[in-house]
Amino acid sequence: MAEFLNNYGFLIVTVVQQALLGMSLYYPLSAGQLSLASPGFYALGGYIAAIIGTAELFAPWRDLLGKAVFPLEWIIAGVASALLSLVIGLPALRLRGIYLALATIAFVQIVRVISLNLSITGGAIGIFGIPQLFESRWGYIWIFGPLLAATLLFTWRLEQGRIGRAFRAIREDELAAEAMGINPTRYKAQAFIIGGTLAGVVGAMSAPFLNTWNARQGTFDASIAYLAYVLIGGTRSLWGALLGAALLATLPEILRPLNDSRLIINGMVLVIVSIYLPQGIVGALARLRGAGKKKGVPAGGKT
Amino acid sequence: MKRLFFAVLTIMCSTAAHAEKIKAPIHIGIGVAQTSNVALFGEEQVNGAKVAEAVFNAKGGINGTHFKLVYQDTGGDEAGAINAFQNLINRDKVVGIVGPTLSQQAFSADPIANRAKVPVLAPSNTAKGIPQIGEYIGRVSAPIAFIAPFAVKYALQENPKIKKVAILYAQNDAYSTSETGTFQESVKKQGLEIVTTQKFQTTDSDFTTQVTAVLGAKVDLAVISGLAADGGNLVKQLRQMGYKGLIVGGNGFNTANVFPVCGKYCEDLIVAQAYSPAVVDTNPVNKEFVTEFRKKHKKDPPQFAAQAFTAVQIYVEALKKVEANTKNKITQLDLATVRTELNKAIRTGSYRTPLGEISLDKEGEINQKSFYVSRIKMEPNGKSGKFLNVK
Repeated sequence: MAEFLNNYGFLIVTVVQQALLGMSLYYPLSAGQLSLASPGFYALGGYIAAIIGTAELFAPWRDLLGKAVFPLEWIIAGVASALLSLVIGLPALRLRGIYLALATIAFVQIVRVISLNLSITGGAIGIFGIPQLFESRWGYIWIFGPLLAATLLFTWRLEQGRIGRAFRAIREDELAAEAMGINPTRYKAQAFIIGGTLAGVVGAMSAPFLNTWNARQGTFDASIAYLAYVLIGGTRSLWGALLGAALLATLPEILRPLNDSRLIINGMVLVIVSIYLPQGIVGALARLRGAGKKKGVPAGGKT
Repeated sequence: MKRLFFAVLTIMCSTAAHAEKIKAPIHIGIGVAQTSNVALFGEEQVNGAKVAEAVFNAKGGINGTHFKLVYQDTGGDEAGAINAFQNLINRDKVVGIVGPTLSQQAFSADPIANRAKVPVLAPSNTAKGIPQIGEYIGRVSAPIAFIAPFAVKYALQENPKIKKVAILYAQNDAYSTSETGTFQESVKKQGLEIVTTQKFQTTDSDFTTQVTAVLGAKVDLAVISGLAADGGNLVKQLRQMGYKGLIVGGNGFNTANVFPVCGKYCEDLIVAQAYSPAVVDTNPVNKEFVTEFRKKHKKDPPQFAAQAFTAVQIYVEALKKVEANTKNKITQLDLATVRTELNKAIRTGSYRTPLGEISLDKEGEINQKSFYVSRIKMEPNGKSGKFLNVK
């Protein structure tokens, strides 16, 4: 058991971390918005935690607070991400579909280029020697695990309520939703801000987890990876992101003994899943459990 | 309660590791990038390490006990490096690790090895602060600060009239951004004036903006810090658009991969080198390495391969020292002891390697004596070429 955790503890925590990032994309998607901005907020959150953790300027804070500086990092990262996503979300969400996706990709690129050029973010090398909250990598499950549980509970409650219904209405038909008295801009911005805040907090938790933080954390590739979690897992259920991340993050590691061919097999699994399970894994499971139920997945996903 | 449970588990695990005896062949871990866009360098490192494995095992390994290299792919990212290192440390039970390929990956994965008390020798991490990660971390790749000034001095010898200099660098590459800092310092130290500083990305292929700026500034020397593909293209476009002055390329140009990129325009490029396959007469180890490498790969070994070879060589020689110090065969010792003793042994004495005579100081930083400056000489067909040593 100890052997197992030593070896795979990091991987298990990575799955939880990636699932959270998938969730951050799921909120805008559940309101019908294809936003790829999450890596930008993830990078921002990580930089905030890394700078507070290492910069000379914040040394008094660290001495004063001890380990309590970590929750403070998460809060600051969350608040900063929320504010930034509000500022970016309001104008960007006037764009639709692929144009919104492009604008959010641009945002991720801007964050990357800015962090490459600032000295406080360490340029291309980034920030290293970030103080640790736990000795072992597995220890980080005690922060990522509760965050995932809280996020799932929050999402589940959200989807039961008025806001969740509004999200779904906008996703199915924005014009019809507006005609029924829903303010689409407000709800779209809400979904965007929830996603951005979550990504920022995850970033702040991830900086000590990865020991280092640099401009390679928030890239276009990461956007695509998170989108793949949600698409492969299923866009219509909060479990989709979790399952998708679990599959996509563990597969290359499980296939490690295959050496060179592991990425080929990894890619083949992706292609096969997307061809044969167009509704994602959760969609396929729901269909298996009896398609008769009314609440099941409607045919032909819009996203 | 759960914390307590985990603490007990860790203690159980560490006692288990203590009791563990090493079986022959001795495992040495190679954790470099065999996939992703960094694989170009990782493959060269694997090639170099494989030659080392064959050469030293043929000579009897560690006083008769053979060793085996165990490979774990790190990919190009930080999480991949951590996964690979944990596999090497816990599953493959290696006595030490050679890797990872990128400095950023080292900052992520090295603390893990350091906490597990497993020695790491970095074959290609040149960023500031790598040996300072911990007492188990060392490197055989000289930081850029030592290499760059030689090339600038040579350029001044070639053309003493140089006054104005253009600096170009790949700003998204950790190596190039540190290197350009050193280049700029040494240019200023020589009393030259930097009239323009241009940035590009390693993914760029069109350099019109940068080239126009360089031509407009009427410089006599262009100093480029980039990698083979982007740097090579930049050199080509500079020459195509009419730049006539000297060009100094950083250590990223020290690979035969640059020849097909800039073709005949590579001619006369001045390159700073931490390793030269041309130095064989005064260095028998390098001669053997170059001969074996040529037999297998039909080309001269690149710097990354030489550094990986060197890292494996240091492990082999240090393991012999461990046997001498403890008066025991490695296979009679337990894993934790060998790792600690090996780490101490690495830092004592000097090694005659393909990089020349080197040693590691207490912190794990390399002391390398010989650096080289070469000029590229292209074949008339413009497809292949050679690095000619000038210093």
